[in-house]
Amino acid sequence: MRDEVIITGIGGQGIQLMAKTLALAATRAGLQAMLASDFGGEMRGGPSQASVVVDDQRLRSLPILPAASSVVLMHHKHSEFALSRLVPGGLALVNSSVADPAAIRDADVVAVPALDIARAADAPNAAGFVMLGAYMTLRRLVGVTALGDAMRELVPPYRAQHVAANLRALEAGAGAVFAA
Amino acid sequence: MTSTAPARQLLDGCAAITESAIAAGCRFFAGYPMSPFTGLLENMSRRLPEVGGHCLNAESELEAVNMALGAAAAGARAATGSCGQGLALMQEAIAELALNELPLLVVNMARNQQDYFQATRGGGWGDYRTITLAPKDVPEAVEHTQLLFHLADRYRAPVILYGDPLIAQTHVSVDVAARDFDPLPPKDWALDGTSGGTGHSRQIWTWAMGKVSAPGPGPDRHWRAVAAKFDQIAHDEARSEAYRIDGAETVIVAFGSAALFAEHVVDELREDGHRIGLFRPVTLWPFPAADLAAATRDARRVLVFELNAGQMLDDVRQFAHDRDTVRFIGGVSIHASGLSYGPLLDVAPIRSRILEAVA
Amino acid sequence: MTEVPRLVARDRPELILGDHGLCPGCGEPVALRILLEVLEELDIVRRSIGVVGHGCYGSFVQIMDVEVLQCLHGRAPSCATGIKRVRPDTVVFTMQGDGDMVNEGLQEVLHTAARGENVTCILLNNGVFGDTGGHQTATTVVGQRTKTSLDGRNPETHGYPIPVADLVASLAGVSYVARGAVSTAGGVARTKRMLQTAFEHQLAGDGFGLVEILTMCPTGWFVPAGSGPDYLTGSLEAAYPLGELSLRERA
Repeated sequence: MRDEVIITGIGGQGIQLMAKTLALAATRAGLQAMLASDFGGEMRGGPSQASVVVDDQRLRSLPILPAASSVVLMHHKHSEFALSRLVPGGLALVNSSVADPAAIRDADVVAVPALDIARAADAPNAAGFVMLGAYMTLRRLVGVTALGDAMRELVPPYRAQHVAANLRALEAGAGAVFAA
Repeated sequence: MTSTAPARQLLDGCAAITESAIAAGCRFFAGYPMSPFTGLLENMSRRLPEVGGHCLNAESELEAVNMALGAAAAGARAATGSCGQGLALMQEAIAELALNELPLLVVNMARNQQDYFQATRGGGWGDYRTITLAPKDVPEAVEHTQLLFHLADRYRAPVILYGDPLIAQTHVSVDVAARDFDPLPPKDWALDGTSGGTGHSRQIWTWAMGKVSAPGPGPDRHWRAVAAKFDQIAHDEARSEAYRIDGAETVIVAFGSAALFAEHVVDELREDGHRIGLFRPVTLWPFPAADLAAATRDARRVLVFELNAGQMLDDVRQFAHDRDTVRFIGGVSIHASGLSYGPLLDVAPIRSRILEAVA
Repeated sequence: MTEVPRLVARDRPELILGDHGLCPGCGEPVALRILLEVLEELDIVRRSIGVVGHGCYGSFVQIMDVEVLQCLHGRAPSCATGIKRVRPDTVVFTMQGDGDMVNEGLQEVLHTAARGENVTCILLNNGVFGDTGGHQTATTVVGQRTKTSLDGRNPETHGYPIPVADLVASLAGVSYVARGAVSTAGGVARTKRMLQTAFEHQLAGDGFGLVEILTMCPTGWFVPAGSGPDYLTGSLEAAYPLGELSLRERA
């Protein structure tokens, strides 16, 4: 069981937290993970990208992925690199509340209106976790509980008030797509 | 990244090196913030006090290395570091450490591979060398950290861990366990005050003239002895890795992260039927000359891939089996921020440079 | 029966292992002697570590029976920091000339003082780079002739001297700053008391201490050996007043 996923968006959408939650959940579940981040200096609005590789076998991967089996697009901006590395027919999970999936070719496109789902779940800042929940359903690397526990570990004390909302978002996202 | 043991923690290279250093008994660190070294200073700052150690955010690189020198002179396992630009300021002190025969781990969390000359030729004064290990990924950096503390103490010398932004900032599931090494003699040369007033009080001085009551060897004998020590180290401590070298008519030579990517490309090209392998110096100094000569004995082409204008290239030209087979396929490639690698460190361009050279 | 000679006094501390090779009239050996007497009298020599910079006094590393690290020019306070942090029960001091501390090492001494490191820095100030042949330093006083200020230090071209003790005294983290001179018998005695006080502060864990000792350098001053003390009184002492400096109140 292995996946290479590139998550992209703009600064402030929680890209790094999503990626680290996934990598940590995998680590805690006894899998091997690699997480490579790339982001600019701006606090908000600039490019933010993270590559995560999860494997249950001996992990060999490069921090700059030559190929990814999945991409998660939180925003249309700064998505060029991820799409260029997506293998033909790979999974493109798109936050359709913000990004238009129509232009994506040669991929298994799954549109998730993550921002709308997040608002409906009373977790307006947690669109990223909606997407992570959806990704988990489609790729089945770890369970929602594992993601939730990792998220709890990673959220700093001054954001502890968001843990419950993040959990709701994970559940909502997980239920928003159907496993193949 | 490669990892076989059951994973325990998700750590980036800076955090992993910190844990490894602590496992090795490091209890003193001093540094000055500079990307991508800063993460190491931050981690040490948080963790060393938790284990009874000291971490100082020094006011300059000069202070940092000299604080660490003092701690080492007093017998502690100590470390410092920076990136190449900051290490440039530490060169005099590194030479001083070598000629004082003091152990110290110096981490070059470099921004790229352009500090190969700095590490292997040194910018200090005198006849000294620095054992330099260049890990290709975070798990190897963890091993090398503990090995370097051991080598520093064993040989009483400053040693360098050559890292980079990918090692510093990539997170990996990694288990940091303390490694066993051969026992070392006690540090009876270290300053602790107790020999004061005995007529044989300890002295640490690069000129090693000793005290009038107990004369030392003096600079002539001392510096010759130190030079001879480094000759012995050159003989005994070279390390390298040969990957799919058997039957290879093309041998790529690369170190650190460049080698990690080159290894991936070698696998792809082998799938396509190319007889290609990779030789990876693990110690940049001592350069694994004999191993390189053996690995390139049957090669038609020796392609040097490094992210600089050609530095390890000099050593490969000198020691490859046939100098005329050596070609440079690397280059300077810098991220727009100036702080990391540019587009050349990527599978596709590396692959195309190799294929161009092979055509 | 022949009387067995009985030692009633020593002409110098046992901690001095041999003769120095410095110029006649030099004040630095006097400073070394009172330092070693203080270490003996406080009974701390078996826990003392000295960090010695570069200058004529650098040769003292061979004649002082105290553990020493001879370090890079200017860096002694940083090395002292490292030593004291990992061996907090030792008594750590530096011995530096004005060229070492105030030229090359101004950053190191100020930061070490500001950090409140529990070490004692000793400045041997003669206003000149003696070891290299008598060149201007940051403490050379206005009007003083050196090989790089042949007509005397002129503020217009050479700027002004730096009173490092005053700078240090302005920093919180400092427990004791004093300036003495070894140009007179009284001065020697007072300076020795300053050193004792400084070490007592270190032993009490009070923070950083600096003792500046004005020393004679007749060779560097182009005066006869015996004229050093008068020259010092007339030039350096006027620019660097003697006594204990008042310190800043800690927050």
